[in-house]
Amino acid sequence: MHFTIFQESRKGQRKVNQDRLAYTYSRETLLLVVADGMGGHAGGEIAAQIAVRLFIERFQQEAKPTLKNPLKFLQDSMLRAHQALGSYANQFSMLETPRTTCVACLVQSNYAYWAHVGDSRLYLFRKGGLIGQTKDHSKVQYLVDQGIIGADEIIDHPDRNKIFSCLGGMVDPVIDLSRRTPLRNGDLIVLCTDGLWSVYPQEEIARALTGTPILKSSPTLMREAELRGGPEGDNLSMIVVRWGPETLADEPTTTITETLGLGEFQTEIDRTLTLTDRKGAQRDLTDDEIERAIAEIQATIKRYRR
Amino acid sequence: MGVTNQALPSGYQLLNYRIDRQISRGGFSIVYRAFDDSGGPVAIKEYLPSSLVLRTEGDIVRASTAENLTSFRYGMKCFFEEGRALAKINHPNVVRVLNFFRANETVYMVMRYERGRTLQQQIQMRQDQVSERLVRHVFMHLLNGLRDVHTHKLLHLDIKPANVYLRTDGSPVLLDFGAARQTLTNTRPKLAPMYTPGFAAPEQYREPDRLGPWTDVYGIGASMFACLAAFAPQAADARLSEDHLVSAKKIWAGGYSDNLLEVIDWCLRLDPLERPQSVFALQKAIRDIPPRKRKLTFLDTLKKKLFSEVV
Repeated sequence: MHFTIFQESRKGQRKVNQDRLAYTYSRETLLLVVADGMGGHAGGEIAAQIAVRLFIERFQQEAKPTLKNPLKFLQDSMLRAHQALGSYANQFSMLETPRTTCVACLVQSNYAYWAHVGDSRLYLFRKGGLIGQTKDHSKVQYLVDQGIIGADEIIDHPDRNKIFSCLGGMVDPVIDLSRRTPLRNGDLIVLCTDGLWSVYPQEEIARALTGTPILKSSPTLMREAELRGGPEGDNLSMIVVRWGPETLADEPTTTITETLGLGEFQTEIDRTLTLTDRKGAQRDLTDDEIERAIAEIQATIKRYRR
Repeated sequence: MGVTNQALPSGYQLLNYRIDRQISRGGFSIVYRAFDDSGGPVAIKEYLPSSLVLRTEGDIVRASTAENLTSFRYGMKCFFEEGRALAKINHPNVVRVLNFFRANETVYMVMRYERGRTLQQQIQMRQDQVSERLVRHVFMHLLNGLRDVHTHKLLHLDIKPANVYLRTDGSPVLLDFGAARQTLTNTRPKLAPMYTPGFAAPEQYREPDRLGPWTDVYGIGASMFACLAAFAPQAADARLSEDHLVSAKKIWAGGYSDNLLEVIDWCLRLDPLERPQSVFALQKAIRDIPPRKRKLTFLDTLKKKLFSEVV
């Protein structure tokens, strides 16, 4: 696989960043995942974190180095994340289950597959035009579908934050699955949260990223979007993948996965965390286990020190 | 392989510890002497499995291949086991863990620094025979520590003179719990067994299900034997096929008290059920040894005669 990848999350003007995003790849398969946690206190962050980690963990268990059934993997992971949030709330006797949106995309053998729950989005652009996208599980999207409001009215609508499907909700999530979509070199896959798409229409995203090296244009786009968010600006996050070898940049920016060993993974989890520890979130799950083991030993040492 | 892992250089600042020098190097780790913030000495054990060659320069530990990384992480679990095991134990005759942390992409265990030498060195350095008094003193204290280890549902599983440290005041410290597993609980040991020929009990080779306090008791017996002989007893797996081990009682008759020799032979029985079943039982047997030689009564003489004829 050859691709160029960018990911970034910005807090906007909020106190905490409840967005989580990550990508991981084996030699043959790439996974992208974005989650936008909802609710007060730490609930939203925890929910988004759990969902993203669950995707990464399952991927590393099953992509050896390809997934047998990518769409099933996406559906199962969504359901598992939903269940995990329920049991997490149970375990800590939380009054309210932590909830999150989630959009995830797999690329394998030059085909893309994606799934989503809630209003975090995926756009697929080819030569500057939109050839695929997710449809929000939101009240406003429903109103658009019914012809009650126009698509341009979504952003300012009073109910724009109401979504009817999420992970961790009272009812099982509605999970939308894409078709198996063939990719061509130069195609752009964009995953983002509402903090981005509500201030940056998809035509503008397409324009900003087409014909430019994405590692240059994406950070500019994010900065601009945060400014547009203004004093009330929401968290905003984006993963961009340009499929195939990068032909626009002066420097080589293409990730070539053939150098990975069999059974090896490369993972990047978002670096802009607020609540949880930076270290633990940057590293993969095995690292997390290491940290936990050390914490446990240190606690034991303290307990038995007399 | 001609490449070996590079030790951290003298003066290297590892968190709030300053490395002084390398003390020892094992298959899975390097032990350094270091100084903490207040200038006090500590021993720091760095997890660095030599078979994986992970550091040829600098300080960061890197696995050279994906397979190595997997093995590296797997071995790290054993290192954690050791840390977990020791963290719970606060006994004067068991090495004390002071801190545990992660750095340089590997993990470190900080232990209390002890001055002295290993029992192994002590044995090798002695010109004449090790005195019964020394053996008794060392093992009675060591068994106190081991009893505490067993109370915490842990087995040491690698008891040998090289893992017993003698402080300058003569008190022993049980070291290196790298092989320790929580085998007194229901979970079976899943990690690859590690044993030292001569000191490992026969069940460590063949029947990992049968590990118990009696397994460490075998190691104690073998270590006592080594104190007297200055070499290890025949390896248990070899003994199982052809037992050439001559009983301590035969070798050192007259040199040491019968009772001490009997205890050594008792600990070295091949059948786990025939050994002392607990450290307490073993301590009791050693305590029962009359501290000084008493004159033989007529009855004793008669008994002895009868016994020697039967045997």
